[in-house]
Amino acid sequence: MRRRPPFVVLVFTLLLLGTEFRDAVDFAPRASLVHAQQTPSTEVAVPLPNRDGSFKFAVLGDFGTGDRPQYQMAEQMFAVYKKFKYDFVMLVGDNLYGAQRPQDFRNKFEVPYKPLLDAGVKFYASLGNHDAREQRYYKPFNMEGQLYYTFSPRPDIRFFALESTYPVPEQFQWLEKELKASGSDWKIAFFHHPLYSSGDRHGSDIRLREVLEPLFLKYNVSVVLTGHDHFYERVKPQKGITYFVTGSGGQLREGNIDRQSGLTASGFDTDQAFMVAEIVGDQMYFNAVSRTGRIVDSGSIARRKLVP
Amino acid sequence: MWVTRKGVVSLLIPVALVIPACRRDIPVPASPPATADSPANAPATKRVVGPLSDADAQALATMNDRIKDYIALHQKLERTLPAVPKEATPEQIDQNQRALENLVQKNRATAKPGDIFTPTAQPVIKRLLATVFGGPDGKQLKASIMDENPVGTKLAVNARYPDIVPLSTVPPEVLQTLPKLPEELQYRFVGNRLIILDAHAHVVADFIEDALPN
Repeated sequence: MRRRPPFVVLVFTLLLLGTEFRDAVDFAPRASLVHAQQTPSTEVAVPLPNRDGSFKFAVLGDFGTGDRPQYQMAEQMFAVYKKFKYDFVMLVGDNLYGAQRPQDFRNKFEVPYKPLLDAGVKFYASLGNHDAREQRYYKPFNMEGQLYYTFSPRPDIRFFALESTYPVPEQFQWLEKELKASGSDWKIAFFHHPLYSSGDRHGSDIRLREVLEPLFLKYNVSVVLTGHDHFYERVKPQKGITYFVTGSGGQLREGNIDRQSGLTASGFDTDQAFMVAEIVGDQMYFNAVSRTGRIVDSGSIARRKLVP
Repeated sequence: MWVTRKGVVSLLIPVALVIPACRRDIPVPASPPATADSPANAPATKRVVGPLSDADAQALATMNDRIKDYIALHQKLERTLPAVPKEATPEQIDQNQRALENLVQKNRATAKPGDIFTPTAQPVIKRLLATVFGGPDGKQLKASIMDENPVGTKLAVNARYPDIVPLSTVPPEVLQTLPKLPEELQYRFVGNRLIILDAHAHVVADFIEDALPN
Protein backbone atom coordinates (compact mmCIF):
# COMPACT_ATOMS: atom_id res chain seq x y z
CA MET A 1 0.00 0.00 0.00
CA ARG A 2 1.39 3.38 -0.98
CA ARG A 3 1.69 5.95 1.72
CA ARG A 4 -0.01 9.24 1.20
CA PRO A 5 2.34 12.21 1.43
CA PRO A 6 1.85 14.39 4.42
CA PHE A 7 -0.47 17.30 3.87
CA VAL A 8 2.32 19.84 4.45
CA VAL A 9 4.39 18.27 1.64
CA LEU A 10 1.49 18.53 -0.73
CA VAL A 11 0.94 22.17 0.13
CA PHE A 12 4.62 22.96 -0.25
CA THR A 13 4.78 21.24 -3.62
CA LEU A 14 1.77 23.17 -4.85
CA LEU A 15 3.37 26.40 -3.71
CA LEU A 16 6.54 25.60 -5.63
CA LEU A 17 4.59 24.77 -8.73
CA GLY A 18 2.80 28.04 -8.30
CA THR A 19 6.08 29.88 -8.20
CA GLU A 20 7.25 28.25 -11.37
CA PHE A 21 3.97 29.06 -13.00
CA ARG A 22 4.27 32.67 -11.90
CA ASP A 23 7.77 32.98 -13.26
CA ALA A 24 7.10 31.55 -16.66
CA VAL A 25 3.46 31.86 -17.46
CA ASP A 26 2.50 35.19 -16.08
CA PHE A 27 -0.39 37.18 -17.28
CA ALA A 28 -1.92 35.32 -20.17
CA PRO A 29 -2.81 37.80 -22.87
CA ARG A 30 -6.38 38.83 -23.26
CA ALA A 31 -6.16 41.14 -26.21
CA SER A 32 -7.52 39.92 -29.47
CA LEU A 33 -4.52 40.98 -31.52
CA VAL A 34 -2.05 38.80 -29.66
CA HIS A 35 -2.32 35.08 -29.56
CA ALA A 36 0.34 33.88 -27.21
CA GLN A 37 1.32 30.77 -25.42
CA GLN A 38 4.07 30.22 -22.92
CA THR A 39 6.09 27.09 -23.23
CA PRO A 40 8.48 26.43 -20.39
CA SER A 41 11.30 24.31 -21.69
CA THR A 42 14.83 23.34 -20.86
CA GLU A 43 15.61 22.75 -24.53
CA VAL A 44 17.36 25.26 -26.73
CA ALA A 45 14.55 27.37 -28.05
CA VAL A 46 13.33 26.62 -31.53
CA PRO A 47 11.30 29.60 -32.55
CA LEU A 48 8.25 29.45 -34.64
CA PRO A 49 7.34 29.02 -37.41
CA ASN A 50 10.92 29.21 -38.85
CA ARG A 51 9.95 29.31 -42.50
CA ASP A 52 12.26 29.71 -45.45
CA GLY A 53 12.25 33.19 -46.91
CA SER A 54 10.67 34.88 -43.90
CA PHE A 55 12.25 37.90 -42.25
CA LYS A 56 13.93 36.90 -39.01
CA PHE A 57 15.51 39.11 -36.39
CA ALA A 58 16.46 39.26 -32.72
CA VAL A 59 16.11 41.97 -30.11
CA LEU A 60 18.60 42.63 -27.33
CA GLY A 61 18.81 45.35 -24.73
CA ASP A 62 20.77 46.51 -21.71
CA PHE A 63 23.48 43.99 -22.31
CA GLY A 64 27.00 45.46 -22.44
CA THR A 65 28.23 44.64 -18.97
CA GLY A 66 31.11 42.37 -19.90
CA ASP A 67 29.99 40.06 -17.12
CA ARG A 68 29.36 36.35 -17.23
CA PRO A 69 25.57 36.52 -17.66
CA GLN A 70 26.04 38.63 -20.78
CA TYR A 71 28.41 36.07 -22.22
CA GLN A 72 26.03 33.25 -21.36
CA MET A 73 23.21 35.13 -23.06
CA ALA A 74 25.41 35.61 -26.10
CA GLU A 75 26.09 31.88 -26.19
CA GLN A 76 22.38 31.25 -26.00
CA MET A 77 21.76 33.69 -28.83
CA PHE A 78 24.17 31.76 -31.00
CA ALA A 79 22.64 28.44 -29.97
CA VAL A 80 19.27 29.76 -31.13
CA TYR A 81 20.83 31.19 -34.28
CA LYS A 82 22.05 27.75 -35.29
CA LYS A 83 18.44 26.63 -35.47
CA PHE A 84 16.83 29.91 -36.46
CA LYS A 85 18.91 31.96 -38.88
CA TYR A 86 18.10 35.53 -38.01
CA ASP A 87 19.91 38.12 -40.10
CA PHE A 88 19.58 41.14 -37.83
CA VAL A 89 19.77 42.05 -34.16
CA MET A 90 18.05 45.23 -33.04
CA LEU A 91 19.77 46.76 -30.03
CA VAL A 92 17.49 48.78 -27.79
CA GLY A 93 20.23 50.59 -25.93
CA ASP A 94 22.64 50.47 -23.02
CA ASN A 95 25.02 48.74 -25.32
CA LEU A 96 28.10 49.42 -23.19
CA TYR A 97 27.99 49.93 -19.45
CA GLY A 98 30.74 51.70 -17.58
CA ALA A 99 33.95 52.35 -19.45
CA GLN A 100 33.68 52.74 -23.22
CA ARG A 101 37.31 52.48 -24.25
CA PRO A 102 38.40 50.44 -27.27
CA GLN A 103 38.95 47.39 -25.10
CA ASP A 104 35.41 47.79 -23.78
CA PHE A 105 33.98 47.65 -27.29
CA ARG A 106 35.79 44.36 -27.60
CA ASN A 107 35.04 42.84 -24.21
CA LYS A 108 31.44 43.96 -24.02
CA PHE A 109 30.47 43.48 -27.64
CA GLU A 110 32.90 42.01 -30.13
CA VAL A 111 34.02 39.04 -28.08
CA PRO A 112 30.67 37.80 -26.76
CA TYR A 113 28.90 38.21 -30.11
CA LYS A 114 31.81 37.11 -32.27
CA PRO A 115 30.08 33.93 -33.46
CA LEU A 116 27.10 35.98 -34.64
CA LEU A 117 29.27 38.68 -36.20
CA ASP A 118 31.34 36.02 -37.95
CA ALA A 119 28.15 34.46 -39.26
CA GLY A 120 27.26 37.77 -40.90
CA VAL A 121 24.49 38.81 -38.52
CA LYS A 122 24.10 42.59 -38.61
CA PHE A 123 23.47 44.60 -35.47
CA TYR A 124 21.48 47.85 -35.61
CA ALA A 125 21.83 49.96 -32.49
CA SER A 126 19.90 52.61 -30.71
CA LEU A 127 21.51 54.38 -27.78
CA GLY A 128 20.52 54.15 -24.13
CA ASN A 129 21.09 56.49 -21.25
CA HIS A 130 24.39 54.82 -20.35
CA ASP A 131 25.78 54.95 -23.88
CA ALA A 132 28.28 57.50 -25.11
CA ARG A 133 27.09 59.22 -28.26
CA GLU A 134 30.28 58.28 -30.03
CA GLN A 135 28.91 54.78 -30.35
CA ARG A 136 26.99 56.06 -33.34
CA TYR A 137 30.23 55.94 -35.32
CA TYR A 138 31.01 52.35 -34.38
CA LYS A 139 30.80 50.36 -37.57
CA PRO A 140 29.22 47.17 -36.21
CA PHE A 141 26.33 49.22 -34.79
CA ASN A 142 25.37 50.36 -38.31
CA MET A 143 24.23 53.80 -37.19
CA GLU A 144 26.44 55.59 -39.73
CA GLY A 145 26.98 58.52 -37.41
CA GLN A 146 23.27 59.11 -36.82
CA LEU A 147 21.55 59.21 -33.45
CA TYR A 148 18.27 58.28 -35.12
CA TYR A 149 17.75 56.62 -38.47
CA THR A 150 15.54 54.31 -40.46
CA PHE A 151 16.21 51.33 -42.65
CA SER A 152 14.23 48.87 -44.66
CA PRO A 153 15.58 45.33 -44.85
CA ARG A 154 12.74 44.41 -47.20
CA PRO A 155 10.19 46.52 -49.03
CA ASP A 156 7.37 45.46 -46.72
CA ILE A 157 9.28 46.11 -43.49
CA ARG A 158 10.78 49.31 -42.14
CA PHE A 159 12.52 49.93 -38.82
CA PHE A 160 12.85 53.27 -37.07
CA ALA A 161 15.68 53.62 -34.55
CA LEU A 162 15.17 56.54 -32.20
CA GLU A 163 17.21 58.40 -29.62
CA SER A 164 15.17 58.63 -26.43
CA THR A 165 17.69 59.92 -23.92
CA TYR A 166 17.99 63.43 -25.32
CA PRO A 167 15.08 63.56 -27.74
CA VAL A 168 15.06 66.79 -29.67
CA PRO A 169 12.06 68.26 -31.50
CA GLU A 170 13.91 67.84 -34.79
CA GLN A 171 13.83 64.10 -34.28
CA PHE A 172 10.07 64.04 -33.92
CA GLN A 173 9.70 66.11 -37.09
CA TRP A 174 12.04 63.74 -38.88
CA LEU A 175 10.13 60.73 -37.58
CA GLU A 176 6.78 62.03 -38.76
CA LYS A 177 8.21 62.73 -42.19
CA GLU A 178 9.73 59.27 -42.46
CA LEU A 179 6.67 57.46 -41.14
CA LYS A 180 4.46 59.34 -43.53
CA ALA A 181 6.71 58.58 -46.47
CA SER A 182 6.95 54.89 -45.73
CA GLY A 183 4.64 52.57 -47.56
CA SER A 184 5.86 49.48 -45.75
CA ASP A 185 3.27 47.16 -44.29
CA TRP A 186 5.32 46.64 -41.17
CA LYS A 187 6.58 49.67 -39.31
CA ILE A 188 8.58 48.81 -36.22
CA ALA A 189 10.18 51.35 -33.89
CA PHE A 190 12.98 50.62 -31.48
CA PHE A 191 14.63 52.75 -28.86
CA HIS A 192 15.66 52.64 -25.22
CA HIS A 193 13.06 54.21 -22.95
CA PRO A 194 9.75 52.31 -22.80
CA LEU A 195 6.51 54.13 -23.43
CA TYR A 196 4.83 51.38 -21.46
CA SER A 197 6.57 49.34 -18.78
CA SER A 198 5.69 47.77 -15.47
CA GLY A 199 9.16 48.43 -14.15
CA ASP A 200 9.22 49.35 -10.52
CA ARG A 201 12.55 51.11 -11.06
CA HIS A 202 11.81 53.12 -14.20
CA GLY A 203 8.38 52.33 -15.58
CA SER A 204 6.60 54.04 -18.44
CA ASP A 205 8.07 57.20 -19.90
CA ILE A 206 4.89 59.21 -20.02
CA ARG A 207 6.38 62.33 -21.55
CA LEU A 208 7.95 60.44 -24.40
CA ARG A 209 4.68 58.59 -24.88
CA GLU A 210 2.81 61.86 -25.26
CA VAL A 211 4.93 62.68 -28.26
CA LEU A 212 5.56 59.33 -29.90
CA GLU A 213 2.33 57.44 -29.43
CA PRO A 214 0.21 59.78 -31.59
CA LEU A 215 2.73 59.39 -34.40
CA PHE A 216 2.79 55.61 -34.03
CA LEU A 217 -0.99 55.49 -34.13
CA LYS A 218 -1.37 57.89 -37.00
CA TYR A 219 1.20 56.22 -39.20
CA ASN A 220 0.43 52.60 -38.50
CA VAL A 221 3.32 51.41 -36.37
CA SER A 222 2.57 47.86 -35.27
CA VAL A 223 5.34 46.98 -32.85
CA VAL A 224 7.60 48.99 -30.53
CA LEU A 225 10.76 47.49 -29.04
CA THR A 226 12.38 49.08 -25.98
CA GLY A 227 14.62 48.33 -23.00
CA HIS A 228 15.76 50.33 -19.94
CA ASP A 229 13.91 48.26 -17.35
CA HIS A 230 15.98 45.17 -16.74
CA PHE A 231 13.52 42.42 -17.49
CA TYR A 232 11.42 41.07 -20.32
CA GLU A 233 7.86 42.26 -20.67
CA ARG A 234 5.26 42.08 -23.37
CA VAL A 235 2.75 44.79 -22.70
CA LYS A 236 -0.92 44.27 -23.43
CA PRO A 237 -1.63 45.95 -26.75
CA GLN A 238 -2.10 49.66 -26.24
CA LYS A 239 -4.48 51.19 -28.77
CA GLY A 240 -3.59 48.33 -31.07
CA ILE A 241 0.20 48.59 -30.78
CA THR A 242 2.26 45.88 -29.10
CA TYR A 243 5.10 47.10 -26.90
CA PHE A 244 8.00 44.97 -25.71
CA VAL A 245 10.55 45.69 -23.01
CA THR A 246 13.68 43.61 -23.59
CA GLY A 247 16.07 45.11 -21.09
CA SER A 248 17.71 42.02 -19.63
CA GLY A 249 20.27 41.07 -22.24
CA GLY A 250 23.05 41.26 -19.65
CA GLN A 251 21.60 43.21 -16.79
CA LEU A 252 18.80 41.86 -14.62
CA ARG A 253 16.67 43.40 -11.94
CA GLU A 254 15.00 40.42 -10.36
CA GLY A 255 11.41 40.79 -9.30
CA ASN A 256 11.14 44.31 -10.67
CA ILE A 257 7.96 43.85 -12.66
CA ASP A 258 5.12 45.54 -10.85
CA ARG A 259 2.49 42.84 -11.05
CA GLN A 260 -0.22 45.35 -10.24
CA SER A 261 0.48 47.66 -13.17
CA GLY A 262 -2.26 46.18 -15.31
CA LEU A 263 0.00 46.50 -18.34
CA THR A 264 1.64 43.10 -18.48
CA ALA A 265 0.59 40.51 -21.00
CA SER A 266 3.64 38.42 -20.15
CA GLY A 267 6.59 39.16 -17.94
CA PHE A 268 9.84 37.47 -17.02
CA ASP A 269 12.12 39.00 -14.42
CA THR A 270 13.97 36.08 -12.89
CA ASP A 271 16.72 35.65 -15.47
CA GLN A 272 18.20 37.36 -18.52
CA ALA A 273 16.27 37.14 -21.79
CA PHE A 274 16.30 38.24 -25.40
CA MET A 275 13.77 38.05 -28.19
CA VAL A 276 13.64 36.50 -31.61
CA ALA A 277 10.95 37.33 -34.11
CA GLU A 278 9.85 36.36 -37.57
CA ILE A 279 7.59 38.16 -39.99
CA VAL A 280 5.49 36.05 -42.30
CA GLY A 281 3.01 38.09 -44.28
CA ASP A 282 0.76 39.95 -41.88
CA GLN A 283 1.94 38.03 -38.83
CA MET A 284 4.93 38.55 -36.60
CA TYR A 285 5.83 35.51 -34.55
CA PHE A 286 8.01 35.96 -31.50
CA ASN A 287 9.78 34.05 -28.77
CA ALA A 288 11.40 35.40 -25.65
CA VAL A 289 14.27 33.16 -24.69
CA SER A 290 15.96 33.00 -21.31
CA ARG A 291 19.66 32.65 -20.62
CA THR A 292 19.12 28.95 -20.06
CA GLY A 293 17.31 28.51 -23.35
CA ARG A 294 13.83 28.42 -21.97
CA ILE A 295 11.10 29.96 -24.08
CA VAL A 296 9.45 32.25 -21.56
CA ASP A 297 6.96 33.85 -23.90
CA SER A 298 5.82 33.25 -27.43
CA GLY A 299 3.01 34.15 -29.73
CA SER A 300 2.10 36.09 -32.83
CA ILE A 301 1.00 39.60 -33.61
CA ALA A 302 -1.10 40.73 -36.54
CA ARG A 303 0.15 43.91 -38.12
CA ARG A 304 -1.98 47.00 -37.80
CA LYS A 305 -3.96 48.07 -40.82
CA LEU A 306 -5.20 51.58 -41.12
CA VAL A 307 -8.89 51.88 -41.73
CA PRO A 308 -9.38 54.01 -44.86
CA MET B 1 10.08 20.72 -12.14
CA TRP B 2 12.35 23.70 -12.30
CA VAL B 3 12.55 25.54 -9.02
CA THR B 4 14.28 28.82 -8.27
CA ARG B 5 15.79 29.38 -4.87
CA LYS B 6 14.33 32.84 -4.97
CA GLY B 7 10.92 31.36 -5.52
CA VAL B 8 11.23 29.18 -2.44
CA VAL B 9 12.54 32.00 -0.30
CA SER B 10 9.91 34.39 -1.47
CA LEU B 11 7.22 31.95 -0.49
CA LEU B 12 8.65 31.31 2.94
CA ILE B 13 9.02 34.96 3.82
CA PRO B 14 5.95 36.02 5.77
CA VAL B 15 4.01 38.10 3.34
CA ALA B 16 2.24 39.85 6.16
CA LEU B 17 5.45 41.64 7.12
CA VAL B 18 4.82 45.24 6.36
CA ILE B 19 7.54 47.79 6.68
CA PRO B 20 6.19 51.24 7.25
CA ALA B 21 7.13 53.52 4.42
CA CYS B 22 9.76 56.01 5.42
CA ARG B 23 9.22 59.20 3.55
CA ARG B 24 11.72 61.98 3.81
CA ASP B 25 10.31 65.19 2.58
CA ILE B 26 12.74 67.15 0.52
CA PRO B 27 12.65 70.80 1.53
CA VAL B 28 11.64 72.78 -1.48
CA PRO B 29 12.76 76.39 -1.53
CA ALA B 30 9.96 78.80 -2.21
CA SER B 31 9.58 79.35 -5.90
CA PRO B 32 9.10 82.81 -7.30
CA PRO B 33 6.04 83.56 -9.41
CA ALA B 34 6.09 81.53 -12.58
CA THR B 35 6.81 83.14 -15.88
CA ALA B 36 6.97 79.83 -17.74
CA ASP B 37 5.09 76.56 -17.63
CA SER B 38 6.04 74.39 -14.73
CA PRO B 39 7.84 71.17 -15.62
CA ALA B 40 4.79 69.19 -14.55
CA ASN B 41 2.58 70.87 -17.10
CA ALA B 42 5.07 71.51 -19.85
CA PRO B 43 4.43 69.86 -23.19
CA ALA B 44 6.79 66.98 -23.68
CA THR B 45 7.91 68.41 -26.98
CA LYS B 46 9.31 71.48 -25.29
CA ARG B 47 12.18 71.89 -22.97
CA VAL B 48 10.91 74.35 -20.45
CA VAL B 49 12.87 76.05 -17.75
CA GLY B 50 10.54 77.04 -15.04
CA PRO B 51 8.96 78.28 -12.99
CA LEU B 52 11.14 81.35 -13.29
CA SER B 53 11.10 84.90 -12.18
CA ASP B 54 12.71 87.57 -14.30
CA ALA B 55 15.68 87.54 -11.92
CA ASP B 56 16.04 83.78 -12.30
CA ALA B 57 15.83 84.08 -16.06
CA GLN B 58 18.58 86.68 -16.01
CA ALA B 59 20.70 84.45 -13.79
CA LEU B 60 20.33 81.55 -16.19
CA ALA B 61 21.10 83.84 -19.10
CA THR B 62 24.60 84.25 -17.68
CA MET B 63 25.00 80.49 -17.90
CA ASN B 64 23.66 80.39 -21.42
CA ASP B 65 26.21 83.00 -22.45
CA ARG B 66 29.00 80.82 -21.05
CA ILE B 67 27.61 77.80 -22.86
CA LYS B 68 27.67 79.72 -26.13
CA ASP B 69 31.27 80.71 -25.50
CA TYR B 70 32.19 77.12 -24.70
CA ILE B 71 30.52 75.77 -27.81
CA ALA B 72 32.16 78.36 -30.00
CA LEU B 73 35.54 77.21 -28.71
CA HIS B 74 34.60 73.54 -28.93
CA GLN B 75 33.47 73.80 -32.52
CA LYS B 76 36.50 75.84 -33.52
CA LEU B 77 38.79 73.18 -32.06
CA GLU B 78 36.80 70.28 -33.47
CA ARG B 79 37.04 71.73 -36.96
CA THR B 80 40.81 71.39 -36.80
CA LEU B 81 40.51 67.61 -36.41
CA PRO B 82 39.62 65.07 -39.05
CA ALA B 83 36.00 63.95 -38.83
CA VAL B 84 35.29 60.57 -37.30
CA PRO B 85 34.43 58.15 -40.09
CA LYS B 86 30.80 57.12 -40.16
CA GLU B 87 31.91 53.54 -39.87
CA ALA B 88 34.73 53.80 -37.38
CA THR B 89 36.72 51.40 -35.29
CA PRO B 90 36.80 51.88 -31.50
CA GLU B 91 40.39 53.03 -31.88
CA GLN B 92 39.43 55.73 -34.37
CA ILE B 93 36.65 56.92 -32.07
CA ASP B 94 39.02 56.97 -29.11
CA GLN B 95 41.82 58.76 -30.98
CA ASN B 96 39.49 61.48 -32.15
CA GLN B 97 38.02 61.90 -28.70
CA ARG B 98 41.42 62.14 -27.02
CA ALA B 99 42.72 64.59 -29.60
CA LEU B 100 39.78 66.87 -28.94
CA GLU B 101 40.21 66.36 -25.21
CA ASN B 102 43.80 67.61 -25.43
CA LEU B 103 42.82 70.66 -27.45
CA VAL B 104 40.00 71.58 -25.08
CA GLN B 105 42.20 71.15 -22.03
CA LYS B 106 44.96 73.30 -23.49
CA ASN B 107 42.59 76.03 -24.50
CA ARG B 108 40.79 76.03 -21.14
CA ALA B 109 43.84 75.62 -18.98
CA THR B 110 42.55 78.14 -16.45
CA ALA B 111 39.02 76.75 -16.28
CA LYS B 112 37.54 76.46 -12.80
CA PRO B 113 34.24 75.47 -11.20
CA GLY B 114 31.58 78.07 -11.84
CA ASP B 115 32.83 79.09 -15.26
CA ILE B 116 29.69 77.72 -16.89
CA PHE B 117 27.41 77.10 -13.94
CA THR B 118 27.86 80.72 -12.94
CA PRO B 119 27.52 81.68 -9.27
CA THR B 120 24.28 83.45 -10.06
CA ALA B 121 22.89 80.50 -12.01
CA GLN B 122 23.78 77.81 -9.49
CA PRO B 123 21.10 78.59 -6.88
CA VAL B 124 18.47 78.69 -9.61
CA ILE B 125 19.60 75.33 -10.96
CA LYS B 126 19.48 73.85 -7.48
CA ARG B 127 16.01 75.23 -6.88
CA LEU B 128 14.75 73.85 -10.18
CA LEU B 129 16.13 70.44 -9.31
CA ALA B 130 14.68 70.59 -5.82
CA THR B 131 11.29 71.28 -7.33
CA VAL B 132 11.54 68.23 -9.56
CA PHE B 133 12.85 65.93 -6.86
CA GLY B 134 10.33 67.24 -4.35
CA GLY B 135 7.49 66.28 -6.65
CA PRO B 136 5.46 63.09 -6.55
CA ASP B 137 7.93 61.20 -8.71
CA GLY B 138 11.00 62.57 -6.98
CA LYS B 139 11.90 59.40 -5.12
CA GLN B 140 11.72 57.27 -8.25
CA LEU B 141 13.63 59.84 -10.28
CA LYS B 142 16.41 59.88 -7.76
CA ALA B 143 16.54 56.09 -7.64
CA SER B 144 16.80 56.10 -11.41
CA ILE B 145 19.71 58.54 -11.31
CA MET B 146 21.52 56.66 -8.57
CA ASP B 147 21.33 53.50 -10.65
CA GLU B 148 24.96 52.99 -11.67
CA ASN B 149 25.93 56.36 -10.27
CA PRO B 150 28.99 55.90 -8.08
CA VAL B 151 29.52 58.18 -5.13
CA GLY B 152 32.94 59.33 -3.99
CA THR B 153 34.34 59.86 -7.48
CA LYS B 154 36.89 62.64 -7.74
CA LEU B 155 36.15 65.20 -10.42
CA ALA B 156 37.97 68.23 -11.72
CA VAL B 157 36.84 70.83 -14.19
CA ASN B 158 38.57 70.44 -17.55
CA ALA B 159 39.74 66.93 -16.64
CA ARG B 160 38.81 63.80 -18.56
CA TYR B 161 35.62 62.18 -17.35
CA PRO B 162 36.87 59.10 -15.49
CA ASP B 163 36.91 56.20 -17.91
CA ILE B 164 35.62 53.66 -15.47
CA VAL B 165 32.75 55.77 -14.15
CA PRO B 166 29.43 54.86 -15.78
CA LEU B 167 27.40 57.54 -17.46
CA SER B 168 24.41 58.07 -15.21
CA THR B 169 20.78 58.30 -16.15
CA VAL B 170 19.35 61.79 -16.42
CA PRO B 171 15.57 61.36 -16.53
CA PRO B 172 13.61 63.36 -19.07
CA GLU B 173 11.78 65.21 -16.32
CA VAL B 174 15.12 66.54 -15.12
CA LEU B 175 16.37 67.38 -18.59
CA GLN B 176 13.20 69.21 -19.38
CA THR B 177 13.69 71.38 -16.34
CA LEU B 178 17.27 72.43 -16.97
CA PRO B 179 18.51 74.93 -19.54
CA LYS B 180 18.87 73.34 -22.92
CA LEU B 181 22.30 72.21 -23.95
CA PRO B 182 23.62 71.89 -27.48
CA GLU B 183 24.37 68.47 -28.88
CA GLU B 184 28.02 68.61 -27.85
CA LEU B 185 27.19 68.86 -24.15
CA GLN B 186 25.25 66.65 -21.76
CA TYR B 187 24.07 66.85 -18.20
CA ARG B 188 25.11 63.89 -16.08
CA PHE B 189 25.14 63.17 -12.37
CA VAL B 190 28.22 61.89 -10.62
CA GLY B 191 27.27 61.20 -7.05
CA ASN B 192 25.22 64.22 -6.05
CA ARG B 193 27.05 66.52 -8.44
CA LEU B 194 25.46 67.74 -11.64
CA ILE B 195 28.08 67.97 -14.34
CA ILE B 196 28.17 69.34 -17.84
CA LEU B 197 30.00 66.78 -19.91
CA ASP B 198 31.61 67.62 -23.20
CA ALA B 199 30.36 64.45 -24.86
CA HIS B 200 32.69 64.66 -27.84
CA ALA B 201 35.85 65.35 -25.84
CA HIS B 202 34.80 63.34 -22.77
CA VAL B 203 35.83 66.26 -20.60
CA VAL B 204 34.08 67.66 -17.53
CA ALA B 205 33.23 71.18 -18.61
CA ASP B 206 31.86 72.21 -15.22
CA PHE B 207 29.92 70.88 -12.25
CA ILE B 208 27.80 71.89 -9.30
CA GLU B 209 28.32 70.27 -5.93
CA ASP B 210 25.28 69.02 -4.01
CA ALA B 211 22.91 69.51 -6.89
CA LEU B 212 20.98 66.36 -6.06
CA PRO B 213 18.90 66.96 -2.94
CA ASN B 214 19.37 64.50 -0.09
